[in-house]
Amino acid sequence: MTPQTRAREHGRPERGHGQVVLGRAEAISPTARAAQLGHVYSLTDPMLAELGLEALLNELLERTRDALGADTAAILILDDSGKELVARAAKGLEEEVEQGVRIPVGGGFAGRIAAERVPIFIADVNHADILNPILREKGLRSLLGAPLIVEGRVIGVMHVGTLHPRRFDDEDAALLQLAAGRAGPAIERARLFDALDHEHRSAVALQRSLLPERLPEVAGIDVAARYLPSFDEVGGDWYDLIELPDGYIGIAIGDVAGHGVRAAALMGQLRTGLRAYALEGQPPGETLKRLDRLLQSIRGRGMATASYATFSLETGALRIASAGHPPPVLVSAAGEARLLEVPVAPPLGTLPYPAHKEHEIALGAGETVLMYTDGLVERRGEALTVGLERLRQAASAAASAEAICQRVTDALVPALGAPDDVAMVALRNVPVEGELRLRLPADPQVLVQVRQMLRRWLRSCGAGPDDTAALTLACGEACANAIEHAYSPGGASFELEATHDEGVVTIAVRDHGSWRTPRGRHRGRGLKMIRAAVDEVDVRTTPRGTEVLMRRRLHP
Amino acid sequence: MNVPLAELTFTIDADVVIAHLRGEIDMSNAPELSDAFGSRLTNESRGLVLDLTACTYVDSAGIHVLYELQERLRNRGLELRVVIGPDSEIATALELADVPGAMGSADDVETAVASLRG
Repeated sequence: MTPQTRAREHGRPERGHGQVVLGRAEAISPTARAAQLGHVYSLTDPMLAELGLEALLNELLERTRDALGADTAAILILDDSGKELVARAAKGLEEEVEQGVRIPVGGGFAGRIAAERVPIFIADVNHADILNPILREKGLRSLLGAPLIVEGRVIGVMHVGTLHPRRFDDEDAALLQLAAGRAGPAIERARLFDALDHEHRSAVALQRSLLPERLPEVAGIDVAARYLPSFDEVGGDWYDLIELPDGYIGIAIGDVAGHGVRAAALMGQLRTGLRAYALEGQPPGETLKRLDRLLQSIRGRGMATASYATFSLETGALRIASAGHPPPVLVSAAGEARLLEVPVAPPLGTLPYPAHKEHEIALGAGETVLMYTDGLVERRGEALTVGLERLRQAASAAASAEAICQRVTDALVPALGAPDDVAMVALRNVPVEGELRLRLPADPQVLVQVRQMLRRWLRSCGAGPDDTAALTLACGEACANAIEHAYSPGGASFELEATHDEGVVTIAVRDHGSWRTPRGRHRGRGLKMIRAAVDEVDVRTTPRGTEVLMRRRLHP
Repeated sequence: MNVPLAELTFTIDADVVIAHLRGEIDMSNAPELSDAFGSRLTNESRGLVLDLTACTYVDSAGIHVLYELQERLRNRGLELRVVIGPDSEIATALELADVPGAMGSADDVETAVASLRG
């Protein structure tokens, strides 16, 4: 059955109107034939393919109206429910779109075309079942409409109308169907693209929500990180920085195999899992072993690579374990970068009981470790060593963690995104020398970090074990007191300043409260302990806060 | 049990409970440490020996827990002994707070256990 033979009139023949048999014109003149070919060409013009959806619909409606000698042309598309047609684009009938006319499938002119999937011709609007009042208000007399069909599904209706009575024939119906055949797939493609784009944006939002909102600010280290989605899909890359309860800093990176929302969701589970094991105090190797077990227990599990390291603020020791993950980059204080050779266990989720060996290096003052995912260095048709060398060169800079991340991003990640997503995290061991100045959140958790920083600084001053223990104790008491003064949880902070001059160490701890009056039988011990641990102590209370000044001469 | 920063384990030597504290105690984990002793204090025993040889830091919040522990034990008629190693990093802090004098201390667990039975 050809489209032409399916076209039929929809009118009210009992009143003697529009009783028309659509049939091929018996004879056609060469001029008419040429005009017809011109119309066909105008509707199949390859140039149309270069237009965006709005421009294409505009041009197509214009050309259809001209080809059929009509006064109006319009396209309605089926909404998401599949039950109503919504005006999408129109020429000479712009009100239809502006007013968002909706026609139920099965009802009226357009509704019947969608329901019956055939072209329909109305000879006289005044005597037909028309639901859309605009068609009458506009003074339209005759209408011809055809369904937009994509892969066997009706997605909408296209129709033309005339202000004078007009008999549309099979040729007209064929031309309209030609235009409909052009518009349908274009609309569908745009809709799919929108849906994909929406899914992509949702997936990127999900991915971002699964990554750390902000990095912890820890005295003595400088940290930076990036997550860069690929240009088309989200992936399962993650990074994390964890303040461990023993004062160490955990630094993690991982990459779930695969793409899309599933990979991102699994990433979220693994990031949480790794963080939980790390906070339990598990060392890097054991953390990855447990993470592996966790991954193997997840239904429909995947595969992932990950690397986890712990960093000591006190000694600079970096203990690292890797499960199939690319090697970290170590940047010296002078800015020379090299790849760290780390023993690598198989990726997570691949072997039943892999052993996760640890490797320890000393991250010296001013040195930076950069961990990243393979999306940064892998390029199709290129040896991995080439990408790694490019990374090594980009990371070669005596710069902050943030600047190194930026240099690497600029050099290795295309502006519109790499083919694969990329995560990276960098930690720089900030040199501690001369004087120590820290601004710290008023949180008991920072006490252990303060002790570690202070011990490291005291070592650089040449302090022995007794001096270190005494000064650490005195400073710890003063800091604990400053923390107890904090009235506003979350926002409050205090400052620590330590200087060393001719064998005398001076430590000042300043807060913005007043020295807490000792309460209870065993309270008040803090100040007593400070007095006993240092040679000189001075507690100054000003309207701005309290300063505890402590001095102790180091024993040679 | 694990408290952040430190680990507390218990062994029993007949009528004496021995608690081994490893790690560091400050105001961030002192309350948890105090709770961790709770369930181990029974009237069956003669007393508690707290082994601090593997404890590397203790501040006034931690010392407060020790005095509080001593008080709780005393209320049940039990005694506390602390073991401070000869090269202890926390000896100074404990001495400043008069812990050895107030609780009775020993250099090793055996001596502390014996002093409880004495």
